Formats: sequence, C-alpha cells, structure tokens
Amino acid sequence: MNLVELTINGKTVKAAKGATILQAALKNGIYIPNLCYDRRLSPYGGCRMCVVEVEGQKGLSAACSTQIREGMVVFTETPVVAKSRKAVLELLLLHHPLDCPVCDKAGECKLQDMAYKYGSTSNRFSASRKDEPERLDSPVVERNPNRCILCGLCVRICQDHQGVGAINFIGRGFKTKISPAFEETLDCEFCGQCIDVCPVGALGSKTYRFMSRVWYMNEEEMICPYCGCGCTTNLSVRQGKIIRGRGKEGVGINDGDLCGKGRYGFDYIYAENRLKTPMIRKEGNLVRASWDEALKYVAERMGSIIEKHGPASVGAIGSQRCSIEDNFMLQKFMREAVGTDNIDSAARFGYAKAHKAMEKSFGSDFMPIGWEAPLNAKFLLVIESDITSAMPVWGLNFILARNNGAHLAVADSKETKLVRNSSQWIRLVPGTGVALLNGMMKVIIDEGLYDKEKAQGIQNFSALESSLKDYTPAAVSAITGVSEDEIRNLAREYSSAKSRLVAMTSGASENIKSLNTMLAGANLVMLLGDSPDTLQIPAEFSNTLGMWSAGVRPAEQGKEMQEMLYAKDASLKALYIMGENPIVTFHDVAAVENTLKGMELLVVQDIFLTDTAKMADVVLPACSWAEKDGTFMSAAGAVQKIRKIVKETGEAIPDWEIFVRLSKAMGKDLGLNSVAEISAQVSEKLSTLGKNDLKLSFNPAAYELIENSSSEFPMLLVTANILQHSGALSSLSRNLDSVVSDAYLELSPADAEKYKIINESYVKVISKRGEILLKAIISNEVPEKTVFVPIHFAHAKVNTLTYPAVNGGIPLVPVRIEPA
Amino acid sequence: MNILLKHIEYPESTELKGYCESGGYKALSKALDMKPSDIVDEVRRSGLRGRGGAGFPAGMKWTIASMDPKKPKYLICNADEGEPGTFKDKPILEKNPHLLIEGMAISAYAIGAEYGYIYLRGEYPEAKEILEKAIIDSYAAGYLGDNILGKGFKFHLFVYFGAGAYICGEETAMIESLQGKRGQPRIKPPFPVNEGFLAKPTVINNVETFANIPYLVEVGAYAYMKIGTPESPGPKLFSVSGSVNKPGVYELPMGTTLREIIYEHCGGIKDGKKLKAVIPGGVSTPIMTADTLDCPMDFVNLPKYGSMLGSGGLIVFDETADLRKVCLRITEFFEHESCGKCTPCREGVGWLSSILKRMCSGEGKPEDVELLLEISKNILGKCFCALGDGAAIVVQGFVNNFRPEMEGRAGAQA
Ligand SMILES: Cc1cc2nc3c(=O)[nH]c(=O)nc-3n(C[C@H](O)[C@H](O)[C@H](O)COP(=O)(O)O)c2cc1C
Ligand code: SF4
Ligand code: SF4
Ligand code: SF4
Ligand code: FES
Repeated sequence: MNLVELTINGKTVKAAKGATILQAALKNGIYIPNLCYDRRLSPYGGCRMCVVEVEGQKGLSAACSTQIREGMVVFTETPVVAKSRKAVLELLLLHHPLDCPVCDKAGECKLQDMAYKYGSTSNRFSASRKDEPERLDSPVVERNPNRCILCGLCVRICQDHQGVGAINFIGRGFKTKISPAFEETLDCEFCGQCIDVCPVGALGSKTYRFMSRVWYMNEEEMICPYCGCGCTTNLSVRQGKIIRGRGKEGVGINDGDLCGKGRYGFDYIYAENRLKTPMIRKEGNLVRASWDEALKYVAERMGSIIEKHGPASVGAIGSQRCSIEDNFMLQKFMREAVGTDNIDSAARFGYAKAHKAMEKSFGSDFMPIGWEAPLNAKFLLVIESDITSAMPVWGLNFILARNNGAHLAVADSKETKLVRNSSQWIRLVPGTGVALLNGMMKVIIDEGLYDKEKAQGIQNFSALESSLKDYTPAAVSAITGVSEDEIRNLAREYSSAKSRLVAMTSGASENIKSLNTMLAGANLVMLLGDSPDTLQIPAEFSNTLGMWSAGVRPAEQGKEMQEMLYAKDASLKALYIMGENPIVTFHDVAAVENTLKGMELLVVQDIFLTDTAKMADVVLPACSWAEKDGTFMSAAGAVQKIRKIVKETGEAIPDWEIFVRLSKAMGKDLGLNSVAEISAQVSEKLSTLGKNDLKLSFNPAAYELIENSSSEFPMLLVTANILQHSGALSSLSRNLDSVVSDAYLELSPADAEKYKIINESYVKVISKRGEILLKAIISNEVPEKTVFVPIHFAHAKVNTLTYPAVNGGIPLVPVRIEPA
Repeated sequence: MNILLKHIEYPESTELKGYCESGGYKALSKALDMKPSDIVDEVRRSGLRGRGGAGFPAGMKWTIASMDPKKPKYLICNADEGEPGTFKDKPILEKNPHLLIEGMAISAYAIGAEYGYIYLRGEYPEAKEILEKAIIDSYAAGYLGDNILGKGFKFHLFVYFGAGAYICGEETAMIESLQGKRGQPRIKPPFPVNEGFLAKPTVINNVETFANIPYLVEVGAYAYMKIGTPESPGPKLFSVSGSVNKPGVYELPMGTTLREIIYEHCGGIKDGKKLKAVIPGGVSTPIMTADTLDCPMDFVNLPKYGSMLGSGGLIVFDETADLRKVCLRITEFFEHESCGKCTPCREGVGWLSSILKRMCSGEGKPEDVELLLEISKNILGKCFCALGDGAAIVVQGFVNNFRPEMEGRAGAQA
C-alpha cells in the first residue's frame, strides 16, 4: 500500500494514499468531530463540523472530504476551527426542538456531546422550532423529523450500503426532510441500520421508546443467536432485562452492521411460552416436576428401554441454536452414557448436503466460508440463494463487491433483494440451478475455456465430461428458461473473469437446491482450476457449524435423521430432542408426528413449550443463549463466546448441565462438570478440523425433480426464507413479529388471474400430503407456475405439504391452489 | 460586436437553412479536418474562459478530459440559466440553437465524446421545442449522428429538461440530476473532467462558452484574442435588466466598462433618474455603488471593485430602489434554492432571510446588521458549494456598501 506522511497537530502520521484527513486522523487516534461521516460510506461533506486548518490553504477544509497529501500540515483544534464548529452547532440548533429531556438518544447523542464540548451560544434568534409530527406508524423504527440534522447518513446507509433505498431527502433548503416516498408509512426491510447511524434522536428503535435513559444500562457484547454470520450485537441490559440491541463500529466481524434479527430479535427469550420448570406427563397431561424427579424419571425409563431394546433403540436430535458445549455434551451423553450413535440434527436437510458435497468433491471435512471472500472476486455467481436474507450481513459484502466494481450474477427465479442489487439477473425456473451450472460447464468444455491441465488431472474428469453431454445450451435453455445466448455468455464471461466465486446457501427448509446443485458448483470450481474456497456455502444458523463439528451426526453406523424420523419400520423406542422443534421445522409433519407418537419415551429439552414439547413424556427447561456461558461457531469458522448476561428463567439450567446431571442420575459420570472443562475437550476435538489433505474429484450431478408437477398439482411450491426471520425461532420475537408475523403465499399476477385469486384473500394450498390455508399476496417478484411460501411460522403448517430430501433430487412440492 | 448573436439578425435564424446561409456549420467542417488535439490546443491558447460564472479556462478543462484514458467521455451543456438577472443564454437557445449544436459537436470531437446532453432550464419550454427541432434537423443534415459529415465522427445529442432547481446549474449537482438522482452537489475531487457523468470524464460548459467555439475555430486563437482583454479574451453577452431605458442582451467585448454598457448601449437610467447601485453578474455577485462606473466588465477588474463578473447579468437600480428589500428578495431566493445538503447554507441563509424580513417589516433590532455580518462570516467559506457562499457575500456586499440604508437610518437614501 502506498503510504502518505503528514502532520496532524504536530504529530507525524502515516495513512494510505487516497485517504481523507478525517480517515487519516481517526486511524491515528486523533478525533475530529464529524456528523455526516461513516466509515462504510463515501464522504458527503454536508455537516461542516469536521473543518480543520491546513497549512497553506486559505480558509478551512472539511476533513472528511479533503484528501491527504504528502507533507500536509493539519491542525484540528485551533481557535478558528473551534469558532467555526461552534457556529455550525449554533446553526444546527437553530430549529432543533431541544427536547433532550424526553429524547431516548440523550446521553449518546453526538449533537448533544458536541454542543457540550464547543460551548453553548446564547440564543440569538428565536427561530420557530421545527414542528413535524412524529412518525410511529411503522414497526420497530420511529422517526422524529424535528430532531433531524439532515446529515444524510440514514439515506446513504440504506441505499449505498444496505442496498434498499427506502428513504431519501424530500424538499429543499431547510424544509428538507427525510422520508419514504410521498411521505408514506415507512415500509422497508427494517434492518435498523439507519437507527444506529443516526447521530441524533431523529431515528430510534420503537421497541426501546421511553424504556430507559442510556446511563442506566449496561451494554454487553453478544454473538447474535440467529444466522451463521456470527455478528456481535451489543445488548443493553437494564434491571436484568435486555431492552435494546445495536451494532457498534469496530466490534465483531460485522464491524457495526446488523440485520433486524441481530438488532431486534433478542426478545424471543421473553416469549410467553418459556419453560420454567421440568414437566412430566402424568395421566396424559404435562405437570410440573422437580429437577430430581424429572431426571430420575428420564434415567429410569431410558435405562429400561436400553435394557429391553438395546442402546441402538435410542436416538437424539441436537440443536443448531445451542452452544458447542451443549451439543458436545449431548453427543457425549448419547455415546458414552447411553451407547448409541443415532445422533443427528435438522442440518441433515441443510448443511449436511454442503458438507457432503465438499467432502466428495474436495475431500475436505471442514470448509467454513471466508468472510471477505466476496470482496476478493471479480465475478460472483450466486445460485438460487438470497444471501442477503439468509446471511444478511455477509450478504452486504456481495453488495459491496458489486459497488466496488465486481460483476454479481444472480441466478434466481424470484426477484430477491440480492437480485435487485446484482449486475445480472439470470431468471431461471426454480430448482434448475444445477442444470444451469451443467450447461455452463458444457459450454466451457466444448469451447476449451477450462483449465485443461488441472481439470484433466482430477479424478472422474471423463465421467464429468460424458455426464454433461445432454446439457447442451439448447437443452439447458429448455429446462431453465434461460436463453442459449445467456448461458453461453455466462459461461464465457465467468470462465474468463480474473477471479471467481460461486456461492449458495444450504438452508434446511429450502427446496430449490440439493446436494447435486452443490456438487455441480464444486465441479465448476474444479473445472476452471479454481481453489475449493471459491465455492462458498455457509452453514445456516448461529451454531450449525459448531454443532456439526462437535459431533452431532452419526460417526459410525448410527441412524441419520431420515431413518430416525421418516423410516417406515419404527425401530427407535426413545428419542431425546434438544433445542429443536421437528413438528414445526421438519418437512412432512404427518410422518414426523406419527413417529414421535410411536415413541415409548420422548424427552424434549428446550427453552419453550414448543409443539414438539407438548407431545413429550418429559420436558426439561433450558437456559437461552443469554442465560449461559458457552461458544458458537460461525459459518466462517470463528469460535465466539456467548455469556450469561441475564438471569436464567425459572428453574432453567444450561443444556450442557442437564447432561451432566442426567448422566449422574444414570450412574455414569461424563467427567466434565463446567463450561471450562468441556471447552478444553471440545477445543482439542476442533483443533483437528480442516487439517486433512485435500483430494479432488468430480461428481457428475444431474438435474432431477423428486416430484414433478402434474395436471392434478400443476404448480410448484418453493419454500422461502424471509429476511426478518430465521428458522422458527425468530417468530417468537415480538419485535420481529411486529414486522412480519403471518405466513403468506406469493404468486404471480398471471396465476392469480388464472386461479381467480384476489390479493390478500385466503387460498387453499393442496399437495398430495395435505392442505393448508394461506393469505395470498400477488407479486411481480415471482414467476408463473410457482408459489413462494415462507417457512417460519408454526401456525401456517407449511410442512404439512413438504417432504425431506438429503440427496441429489430437488424437493420442490407440486401443489394446486384454490380460493378458500 | 456581432459574433455570438450574428445569425439572429437573419430571418429564420432558428432554422438550419437560415443558419447555414449565414455561414453556419463551416467551423464544424473545418474542425473535423483538424486533429482533435489541435483544436484543444487552439482553445487553450485562446484563453477562452467559461461563461457560466466561474470563468475557468475552457482549454484546460478540455485538455484534462481528453487526456483521461477512461471511456466513454461525455459532454454536457449547462443551459440551466437560473440565476435572477441572468438571461444571456436565452437568445442563443431560442434564436440560435444551431450555433450551440455546432459548438458542442466541435467540442465533442476535440475531447473525444460520443454523447452530449443539453441540460435545459425547466422554465425555458420554448427553448426546448426549438432545440429539439434543431437537433432533429441537424441529424437529418448529417451534423449529428454516427458519421458526421461523412468524416467518421460520431456524436449524439440529447436535451434534458430540468425541474426547476437553481442548484442543478452547479455542475456536479447537474450530473447527479442527469443521472436521475436528487440535485445535490458532489464532492470535488474527483472533478467532472475525470469522473463526471456515470463516473466517466465529462466536460461541462456553459451555453455561451460553446457558442464561442465555432468562431474561435474559424478564425484561430490569435485572431480571437484580439477581442476583449488579454486576461479575459473574446466577446461576452451581457443581460441587462432593471432601471435602464433599453434592457436586453448585448454582445460586447470583454472589458467594456459599466458606464458604456449602461449609458451608451442601454440608453441610461430610466426616467432620467440617478444611478444608485449595480449588481454586475447575476444575484450571486456583490452589489456595487454608483461610483464604480469605470470598472471594466471582465474576470480581472470586477474583483478589484469588490465584485465578480459572474454570468454577466447586470441589474441596475436607481435612486428610488429600496435596497433592503432587494437584499431580502435575493436572500429569499437563495434560501428557497439551497439544496439543503450542508449546514451553513441550509440553516444560515434561512436565518439571514428571517432577519432581513424582520428588518424590512420594521421589527428589526439595532444589532441586526452586525448579526447579518456575523452569520455571513460563519457561512462564507464553510459551505459545500458556491451557492451558500454566494448568499453570504451578497449580504456582505449590501451591508458594506450601503450600511446606513441597511440599518434603516432615515435620510440615508439621499
Ligand atoms: C449554485 C450554482 C449555480 C450555477 N448555475 C449555473 C447556470 O445556470 N449556468 C451555468 O452555465 N453555470 C452555472 N454554474 C456554474 C457551473 O457550476 C459551472 O461552473 C459551469 O457550468 C462551467 O461552465 P463554463 O466553464 O463554461 O462556465 C452554477 C454554479 C453554482 C455554484
Ligand atoms: S430500517 Fe433499514 S431498510 Fe429500513 S429505512 Fe432504515 S436502513 Fe433502510
Ligand atoms: S434522520 Fe438522523 S441519520 Fe437521517 S439525516 Fe436525520 S439526523 Fe441524519
Ligand atoms: S451551499 Fe450547501 S446547502 Fe447550499 S446549495 Fe450548496 S451544498 Fe446545498
Ligand atoms: S463530517 Fe465532514 S462535513 Fe460532515
């Protein structure tokens, strides 16, 4: 990097060429007041607080928008500068309501702090105060235009960084204000990024309105409990209760960015159905029990089942939301105290496919994503994944990459947020991403655009080559609906890019991709001689990768999820479920329900009385993520601490501790009695990950639907993730529910016409497995012959219609819709 | 002096036919036989300075843009003419559109631009129709298009109609607006010549600047420089309004004195009244007193008299003018047109106009004039763009030159 040397306040400092005075100063620990600068945005130069004196320069210079020069001499706090700042503050306060006593921002307001620093001015002019109505009409975001100093940070973070563009300036001069179009009610993705960036109290979290003065709160750094990004959210605790979340510059891998889940989703721990005591089913009803009683009961019943049917009749389900320690203890308990290898999780339908694809293709047992990977590629190809909703903050790096000049091609059937921020939208038929990839490879091979030396040396090259013979541009065009030219051009441009990346998500509830899509992605990577880490598939949730790595999956002959829950011959007699709610989150609920009903013993250990827990023989209350110590492993492989920052709920104890006690009740000591002891053993296990030598191999991957549409079920149902939610957990957050709380079905205007469906009316959705009712939303974002349904809401029972898949076929669901 | 307005005297000057008959498009033909860099050199040598207000040397702009390796390059004509008192581009736009088109085509060839835009003031609907027709005719006659005059040069020209914001006359705000964004100025650097429209090298010049080009190319820099003064060469359009007998647009050499403009060309002050003050270059230039009549109107001499050439839009006031009201009216204009981006202009100019308002309505306070000066000082040099600074120097000009009257002291007017 080219460094420039300059002097600031007599101190010689160095900074990168092209940096501004403000950036150079901040980097060197010199603070220059600023109100419209943000490290993530390009300089704006509006507030004029950052003025400094530059030697040889007439007048003052705005530090945020003046580039440094070699030998520049800068003074940031001279009397002239102070006077100018004071003048700016006077102007900013001219129309300001000065309602600090009732402003939630007071105490952490930059305007307040600066006014304090540069001194008050006697009020030389009684201008009329701004008098705009407060806007409380949208969820989670409140707006008080009177306090606004028009720094434009909210507008720019929303548009340039978040990729949304929900708000802008309207009006001119001092009548300018921030508003959604036509002063309508703000209706956006509600990430809350604008709130964090607002220097004053003009934007605030509605959920935090009048909750506390800032000086009464402690702020705790915590890892977000939702997706695999592993962001740090800063949670404010007052009187033992979390009342606010926010991002903070320099904190965490997210460096201050957060999505709505990280900012608002913490309150799921205050849901009404939190479990407070153990419960045992007596005469058909779950009734309160003491820990001793409950553990003794589980131990005895478990013991007798083992005795009667053998340990292999016991199975366990781990949790992507519980800590590494919790999951480690679950599998240790199962393997050492019970003696079974039937251990698996919901990741079987999700991340396991990614893992399998990487293992088969690269011989790798551990492939975390690279947080910065999107920024290092000139051409990013995203296959049927809205990364901005599944991994919202990592997704920002895709938008950033594009803003920095990379080409972002998104193959998707739906107009997702990522599509809106892409350079190229390849609109294909849902589920045909694998065919598109095959088609690209066919062109690449036929036109000799691949890395012949490397690719031909990889095992199975000729098998790949012959497997692609049917994927001619014409054939692939017929399958995907993408034109032959677009397929060819995509193949040519992708293969000729300087650096490349293929990315896709691996959500357990998604049904437009499968193992084959991921294998095809890996094939493409190898064909072009790229490194395996140019295939980026993130693990889904906050601790999916940690759970997986802690051993929650069969190691030897144990049953995988589909055998445990969906096999016809019910060989399991007892099932132990930790922090998972199969009745809501697993596909084909009828099959799951049937299996669970057939259990001799069903133990559910959770923080809520979930629909699954309601079926249990014993329910054990566990601590939520904020009520215990432990670690999560992010999709990028970072092991990060979670901490007990609030008291446990009722008699709940941490999941790991339940296993310590339960094993003792069963007369076995697992030998680990604290988080520290567990962590030590886990680290040993984790330290071996990703150390093996890679061994590349092509795996031909065909495009096939498991079930095809028919005249009876002419449409395909796509299960979708929406940005504001994550699995079923987030739907227990009141804050997030205030944004989206109901399931719905999106369909195209043409299909609405065809099936006589009116917007916002209820429709019946019928598959061969059952039927459900959903509210219909007619949307231009979705293609014809397809319906999109978010999966997060228990009451919608979308999993009545869906079915599980762990292999190569695409599990789209043929359905029929009718007005209800 | 009859260069920029020459064709206007011919019947049907807006028509291609009339324009060609009076010698139009000869310069384009000549230019296309020259090397582009030779044209740029010629313009640089001529010392032609931009006529939009800032007086930046046009040749310098062209040189930088033509040397930037980025492609494509764009050419923009600033026809936003929105400043009160300025209407000198209007006759070109409405009566001599082909002169502008020819000037732009030559410039495009010189700097290597294939696309050009005329950003036209929203309040000039007649000009829009005339320009659009002229452009269509020029395409038909081969003065615009993919192969201009059969010489393999491609240039396409479009009219973009503004929406009535003065700030969009500022070049970077204009680019934002052209790109479909809110009209707010951008940070410089990067300058438009390097990263302008769609982040590509872009030359923006005023209508009158382009109108100088055909003549300049025709006669060459040496002959061109014989007009005007050494530091401000060439002909200049002055739009004169206010208390004169013959208001209008006059084409005169740079450096013509105020006296000559007012008393010879404009026939002196209306009704034989006494001259009180002049605003020389549009409302963003400081007002001058009656004893500055010998000031030559050019980029160098006006600053010596405490003002600026600006756009060359003179407003003349006679002894009956209430300058406090004039000052208020001008300040209100700036308040209304402030884009709202930067604090000093957005808040400060509004404050200035509130104070002036109360002064004019008789509710002023003794310290108000001092307050005006202090607020202006706090605005000046601290704004993001020249709009806010303009408002501040204008108020300062009024107070410094007409303090007794601004203070409302009776009898001060005499
Ligand atoms: C607030 C503001 C308004 C302006 N309005 C105009 C205008 O209406 N016409 C114009 O030609 N230049 C205007 N300018 C000047 C332009 O920014 C720019 O300097 C000019 O277009 C350059 O062309 P020139 O070099 O040919 O003069 C304005 C500048 C500012 C700061
Ligand atoms: S909450 Fe997010 S999407 Fe909504 S306006 Fe703010 S930044 Fe934009
Ligand atoms: S709402 Fe806040 S962030 Fe947005 S412009 Fe106003 S002060 Fe700045
Ligand atoms: S000085 Fe500031 S507020 Fe005024 S027009 Fe320029 S940028 Fe906008
Ligand atoms: S931080 Fe520099 S002008 Fe606002």
